[in-house]
Amino acid sequence: MLRYTVRRLAYSLPVLVIASFILFWAVRATFDPLAKLRQSTDPGAVRRQTELLGLDRSAPEQYLLWMKAFVTGDWGTSTRTSGAVMPMIGSALEVTLQLMFWGVLFASVIALGIGIYSAARQYSAGDYVLTGLSYVGIAMPAFWLGLVLIQLLAVWPRQQFGLSEPPLYFVGLHSVGESGINLDYFRHLALPVVTLTIGLVASWSRFTRTSMLEALAGDYVRTARAKGVPRRRILFRHALRNALAPFVTVVALDSAALVGGLVVTEQIYAIPGMGRLFLSSILAGDVFVLIPWMLVVAVAVIVFNLLADVAYALLDPRVALR
Amino acid sequence: MIHERSDRIPSRAGKLRTPVGSALAALAVLVATGCTSGAPALAPGTAIRDVPVKQGGSLVIGAEQEPDCADWISSCAGSIWGTYLMQAQTIPQVFTVAPQGKDWVPVASDLMASTPTTAMVDGRQTITYRLNPAAVWSDGQPITSADLKYTALQIRDGKDIFTQTGYDLIDSISTPDARTAVLTLKSPYANWRQLFGAEYGVLPAHLLEGKDRNALMKNGYTFSGGPWRIASWVRGTSVTLVPNERYWGRKPHLDKVTFQFTTDTAAEFQAFASGQLDALYPTPQLDVLAQINSLGGSADMQVETRTGNLQALWMNNSAFPFDSVAVRQALAHSIDRGAIVRKLFGSLGVTAPAQSFLSPLVSAFAAEDFAVYQRDLAKVQQIMTAAGWAKNGDGIWSKDGRAAQFTIVSLAGNQSRELTEQILQSQLRQAGFKMTIKNTSAANLFGKVAPAGDFQLGLWTLTDTFPEPTLDATFGSTAIPSDANGNSGINFIRAQVPGLDSVLGRVGTEVDETSRLQASRQAERLIADTVPSLPLGAVPNILLTGKKVGGPIGINPVQGPFWNLAEWGLAK
Repeated sequence: MLRYTVRRLAYSLPVLVIASFILFWAVRATFDPLAKLRQSTDPGAVRRQTELLGLDRSAPEQYLLWMKAFVTGDWGTSTRTSGAVMPMIGSALEVTLQLMFWGVLFASVIALGIGIYSAARQYSAGDYVLTGLSYVGIAMPAFWLGLVLIQLLAVWPRQQFGLSEPPLYFVGLHSVGESGINLDYFRHLALPVVTLTIGLVASWSRFTRTSMLEALAGDYVRTARAKGVPRRRILFRHALRNALAPFVTVVALDSAALVGGLVVTEQIYAIPGMGRLFLSSILAGDVFVLIPWMLVVAVAVIVFNLLADVAYALLDPRVALR
Repeated sequence: MIHERSDRIPSRAGKLRTPVGSALAALAVLVATGCTSGAPALAPGTAIRDVPVKQGGSLVIGAEQEPDCADWISSCAGSIWGTYLMQAQTIPQVFTVAPQGKDWVPVASDLMASTPTTAMVDGRQTITYRLNPAAVWSDGQPITSADLKYTALQIRDGKDIFTQTGYDLIDSISTPDARTAVLTLKSPYANWRQLFGAEYGVLPAHLLEGKDRNALMKNGYTFSGGPWRIASWVRGTSVTLVPNERYWGRKPHLDKVTFQFTTDTAAEFQAFASGQLDALYPTPQLDVLAQINSLGGSADMQVETRTGNLQALWMNNSAFPFDSVAVRQALAHSIDRGAIVRKLFGSLGVTAPAQSFLSPLVSAFAAEDFAVYQRDLAKVQQIMTAAGWAKNGDGIWSKDGRAAQFTIVSLAGNQSRELTEQILQSQLRQAGFKMTIKNTSAANLFGKVAPAGDFQLGLWTLTDTFPEPTLDATFGSTAIPSDANGNSGINFIRAQVPGLDSVLGRVGTEVDETSRLQASRQAERLIADTVPSLPLGAVPNILLTGKKVGGPIGINPVQGPFWNLAEWGLAK
């Protein structure tokens, strides 16, 4: 397992290098790193920065310079905030990972529950209801869902019941002056996590249902039934274990996409995570944040892919990691 | 006067919306209107609303934008929200702007012992500042003439300065005593009140001199010479202010004010409706106006129409077809500016188009010369025909084989601009002009397109940042971006109106107010005659406050809605 992991990581390096060069080139071709300076009253500012950043060199040379600095921890300085990029991305990543953790945790549990129920009671009224709801969940865009949840679970209860404050908050992850994991944190976290969870559950539950149905149609399940194995045991010991492997793969791949994909959710709930950082950086044309940001997301995709492979092997002994 | 090239300007009039913002807004209106009815206590064009307050407590105010940095004389000064949240609360200024009758006028702040005076000495303009002996920084050190000197020289001689206008004229600054500073200018500067009073204030020399000012200030600073000091700035989340205990003037009623960054407009309104935010200062976009109506009676609204924001159509005088005076005049007669203005901001009290390139903030210097340009298609026909144009088979004016078709550029995603463009497109088509729309990002428009003159027609906002006329920055031929001015000029339209430079020069240097006013009116006439561009209308500002907020509440067109935050409090 360890050898496999190390080998996979080693294989990932060329992918990362190629991806980083493409990202570097694409971002540099799209944005002008000196756009802000071109409005400066200092006529020498553009020239000095051009020399400092090596912008007068060829694209491969610029890339090598940047990559050399990147791997040594010098991720550059944001043209938007004048702050160091590494702590900016680190802080945003920490926030996004919190959101992801809770969202993926709840979504996995709920999606598995719904998927198992729907598969076990295929074509029942409950299955139809849950199937219908999952389609509704898939169809609801996060920006719409988020606002509806805010209205229904925060604004409306406060107005309806004359509360001094809403039962759930939706600006940031803490109230002013609060920090850490406490009730205030969870009151802030609830709505963004619900927004995220509903979208994930909708698609993951469909996937679980399909995987479970495939597993339940397997010969080994028929054999188990013929042998009189209890239904519950068939479901959870035989079918679920086989259905889990593809489910875990989907969860891992979707999680990778969430690292940089929570733009809308973070924007609505004013959460300073990776998505919001991306948005503010792209609006400001902040290339020195955008390039490492994309690279971090690319790394996340590779890491989550690796986790998916490892998890798959752990769940399915037929898969050998070589 | 500046174009909305940085967020200092677009934040009020043309801020680039987030991609999701517009879509969210429509939904929010639908959702919110289902639960509330009526409209806020609306007071368009109101003066200050005064509500008695009690001592203590805290407020949380929504901030649509987070400043990138807090070094207020570098490019950070371009952040209007930075000014509202931190600069105006912590950095003392020589002149402030206060309401006087129907106008906002510059008045000496409580930093000064007396109103600064100017005089011509040996043919040179001098300005004398006398500081209030009670004025101290938050560390107890007195605010002295050395601070004025340090600040002035930093701006005059420094690199990466937001604007050096006025400060570049400083010849010397003497400090006869700790409370007196005398500034001598190389040439007369009529807008001398802007010094230490518009974009900039006064910085503490004893803390910054000889050090890297930008490094010390960019992430926030602990010193203050205003009623508040910065308690914390959590990037991406909030800025918290607490009272500066050593402030010599009127001390804040509140114990704490937090500005929460809520960049999504729809969510911001819901946070306000749910009581998480106590006040909002939204950009007056179309979606915002709809959302305001959904708030019901739970909010009070102040609308300030006497702003420094003026939306205009910018014609590139060096590009076809606007290199022709006749075409520019014809275009001015093709547009019903009043209809556009009423459509955009009629509900907020802006019902008449601007007839001058001086915004309402500078109305004392403005004339009404553009009033001659009313929509009159017969007049268009007459002007174009006289200039040798004839309509082609498509009904478009054409001359020498070239049709009068052009492209307009503005900010992508800005709903009010897009609506304006659509109205213009329709009106111009009826007049025989074909206009296509090609919008772009703020960074591209003001960083590349406009400075390079790579446009035909533009739609954006011009902002006056102080009640003084500065048309020379926009229409003076020396302000055309060129190597000579380091490409920093903002005469993006390449206007070269005969005789205008000298008149604008008089506006900028004439210290006598009567002569200056005459020169300003003359400049306006010259501009209107050749129509280098066309003013559309003022962009109002809106402030929403919850019922728990008290104090004298009103929008200062220069210093923003929180200019008197020290006087705010919890309503009694």
